[in-house]
Amino acid sequence: MRKEILQVTGLDKSFGGLHATRNLDFELFEGDLNAIIGPNGAGKSTFFNLLTGYHRPDSGTILFDGVDITNRPPHEITRIGISRAFQVSNIFTKMTVFENVRSAVQAQMGMAFNLFGNAAKVGNDRTEHLLSLCGLSDKSTHIAGALSQGDKKKLELTLALAGKPKLLLLDEPTAGMSLEETRETMGLVDRLNEKYNLTILFTEHNLSVVFNHARNITLLHHGEIIIQGTPDQVRSNETAQNIYFGEHH
Amino acid sequence: MPVETKPVALSDEGEKSTHLAAPHARVGLSGPVIAVLALFSLVVPLLPGEYPTIVGVEILILSLFAGSFNLIYGYMGQMSFGQGAFFGLGAYATALLCRWCQAGSTDIGYPQFFLALLLAIPVSALGALVVGFFLVRLTGIYFSILSLAFGELLFYIVFSWYGFTGGDDGIQGIYPPALLRDPHYYYYFTLAIVAAATFLIWRITRSPFGFTLRMLRDNQRRTAFVGVNIRRAMLLNFVLAGTFAGIAGALWGPFQRSVSPSLLGWMQSGTPVFMTLMGGADFFAGPLVGSLIYTSLNAYVTRFTVFWPLTIGTIILIIVLFFPGGILSIIDGRLARNRGSRGA
Amino acid sequence: MPSDVSSFLIQLFSGLSRAMMLFLVASGLSLIFGVMNILNFAHASLWLLGGYITFTLYQVFSSVFGQNGFLLIPAILLGTAFMFALGWLIERVLIRRMYARELPEQLLLTFAMILIIGDLIKLVWGVQNRRIFLPIEPIEAFGGFINPYLFIVIGCGFGIAAALWFFLHRTRYGKIVRAAVHSREMVSALGIRITAIYAGVYAMGVAIAAFSAGVFLPIMPIGLGLDMDLIIQCFAVVVIGGFGSILGTFVASLIVGIVYSFSVLIWPGGALAVIFLILVTVLIFRPWGLFGTEMRY
Repeated sequence: MRKEILQVTGLDKSFGGLHATRNLDFELFEGDLNAIIGPNGAGKSTFFNLLTGYHRPDSGTILFDGVDITNRPPHEITRIGISRAFQVSNIFTKMTVFENVRSAVQAQMGMAFNLFGNAAKVGNDRTEHLLSLCGLSDKSTHIAGALSQGDKKKLELTLALAGKPKLLLLDEPTAGMSLEETRETMGLVDRLNEKYNLTILFTEHNLSVVFNHARNITLLHHGEIIIQGTPDQVRSNETAQNIYFGEHH
Repeated sequence: MPVETKPVALSDEGEKSTHLAAPHARVGLSGPVIAVLALFSLVVPLLPGEYPTIVGVEILILSLFAGSFNLIYGYMGQMSFGQGAFFGLGAYATALLCRWCQAGSTDIGYPQFFLALLLAIPVSALGALVVGFFLVRLTGIYFSILSLAFGELLFYIVFSWYGFTGGDDGIQGIYPPALLRDPHYYYYFTLAIVAAATFLIWRITRSPFGFTLRMLRDNQRRTAFVGVNIRRAMLLNFVLAGTFAGIAGALWGPFQRSVSPSLLGWMQSGTPVFMTLMGGADFFAGPLVGSLIYTSLNAYVTRFTVFWPLTIGTIILIIVLFFPGGILSIIDGRLARNRGSRGA
Repeated sequence: MPSDVSSFLIQLFSGLSRAMMLFLVASGLSLIFGVMNILNFAHASLWLLGGYITFTLYQVFSSVFGQNGFLLIPAILLGTAFMFALGWLIERVLIRRMYARELPEQLLLTFAMILIIGDLIKLVWGVQNRRIFLPIEPIEAFGGFINPYLFIVIGCGFGIAAALWFFLHRTRYGKIVRAAVHSREMVSALGIRITAIYAGVYAMGVAIAAFSAGVFLPIMPIGLGLDMDLIIQCFAVVVIGGFGSILGTFVASLIVGIVYSFSVLIWPGGALAVIFLILVTVLIFRPWGLFGTEMRY
């Protein structure tokens, strides 16, 4: 029996009377590589925002690795072990790629408030390891803001990994990427999952990516779960085809 | 020192490579120039007349003031228009204790004087803690507005609290002890304190916390999402900056023999902003170079005209419009071009 | 002796008139920020300059046509027109270059303008305060005496507020300006030169401020340093009301103006502190202002 890592119960959030998520129950087990899909406005982003403390839920609880993280702020949740890569990359634009990752590594080491250490001497090995893992080693001295879109998204993922997450949330990890970059990124996602047994949950518009990589898919619509199952189950579900795939064909 | 082999853009590496080092990672002055400046700072009191020494003390004090401001602006990316408040708080703390120790006379002992200077640290830190508590909830334009507003509030408190602060008359007749009354000695005294404080700031900017500040400058959301409590980090930096400003203020009163509410006012708060902008906020040495130019210019211009704000306003306008990176970035850019043309 | 009720009413009217001035200056500040995303630190300095120019125009008119209080009307109109032109010029020459810059540089440019305008005023008009004395007798009202000019001021304030609302919501040009707040692309797509909008909005904001300075000359002397006091109160207004919301600016002006007016009565030195208390309270519980929209980092 695999260990349950995330347990969401009755999660409710509405904005101005509109339900973004409605009485949502959701769980993840260690080593999962699952996806959440749904049309625009289905509540995917809100769900991620609730999981990471960016929004506070109106009701419901979020248990992560045995800890109640409901209502905790983002920085605490990050330290507890949920990292997030955003759809639009949030990187440190004026620093070099290396400094980006090293600063995140030092934050993970709990050194963010260390006043008199020498930043250049701490966390370099792990930074280099992360950069080579994500294929950014040759860009380490580049200014992050000047990177290509694809490289910015890679760096975004690297920064998320620097937090030593137990659960990695990826928001549209391949949005705006070329076919080649998409293949590369999803290859890395698979590798992180298989080699490091990292639990990953991602949202994605590109359905072939979803069906090729996710083991379990959750379809959200109007903030509610419509169906949850393997790619084949979701593909063959009639309701799913109507509300989601119908819009795309 | 061992040579850094990691591909990290450190200042020294940054000086050599043209486009790879991150902005704000550089000193802005090359080693030889620093050496010449340091040497020059040692011989200023030997120049003929007292005037260069007096201006020198002001340059030193204000460069620490500007350096404190740049922790907030250049490193953390927020524009504070209220840094004068903490300069003033430090100045008043020292002045009030000095006056109490002098007890009507013009004499003060060394221990009492040093204690009065030290008092500026907790007072300005506490002031920055209270103001910062509110301020760090905001960023960008809101941060700037509220910093200006808080600065003016503290100004009005000092301005109207006659019984304690002397109101708009300020406090007159504050004297440093025996030897330090000679501007030449006071110069070396100030040089030592400012150098030590500047070294501390330098260490902070190179520390992991220094990089936390750069993270805050570049992307607050990501900073929170790598696990940093961003409000706490901003508050700590604000208190540090306020404390350094307070130390600068503490040195000011005994040198001028008086303090007045204008030390907390918006014009005083504008001073480090202008200096930093002139020198170049992207460089550690920017505030120092800015203070050197601004204060020298001030000392010279005010001999001829009372219209100093007009002069400095016009200079700022020209710098913002045409040289937005400040003087050091002009020099830096030229160096980079030269290296480029040599194919380095 | 005036009764408590009458002193209350008189204080209320003085507060209302103060609120009108705050609104007229802060609405321009808010509009300029909403449309161009520029915080015009020098807004109150331009207000002050407008006041001095109106003062001088009134002096000139009086010396040519003889003393007559009604000469204030052409003086205000001409002063407002002049400041409109000056505002246009400043936008074209200075502000325009800052749109693509980062916030701190934008702040610095307008901060430098404060210094320059302040010193220019000192150069031309010297350091003494200026005011216009109108031969108006206080009238007896509410069991006390009150300067009837206050009602003119309040009327002007409401008039301009209504005109501004009408302009923004009912005229084609105004609708374009409001559209510019939300999307520059949209305005460009309409085939309108966005540059003309920017210059127009800046000039209009400055002109409204100058107008209010002129209207206030008979009841409030102007002098150096007033611009800093006013800009800080205007910032308080705009933050309390919420940036970009004209309605919010209006409500916040009323709050700040009236609260200020009554606190001065009770605790002269602490009026500003009371406004700060409101400002800080709003910032803690609603950092985006009473009428603004929430944003998170």
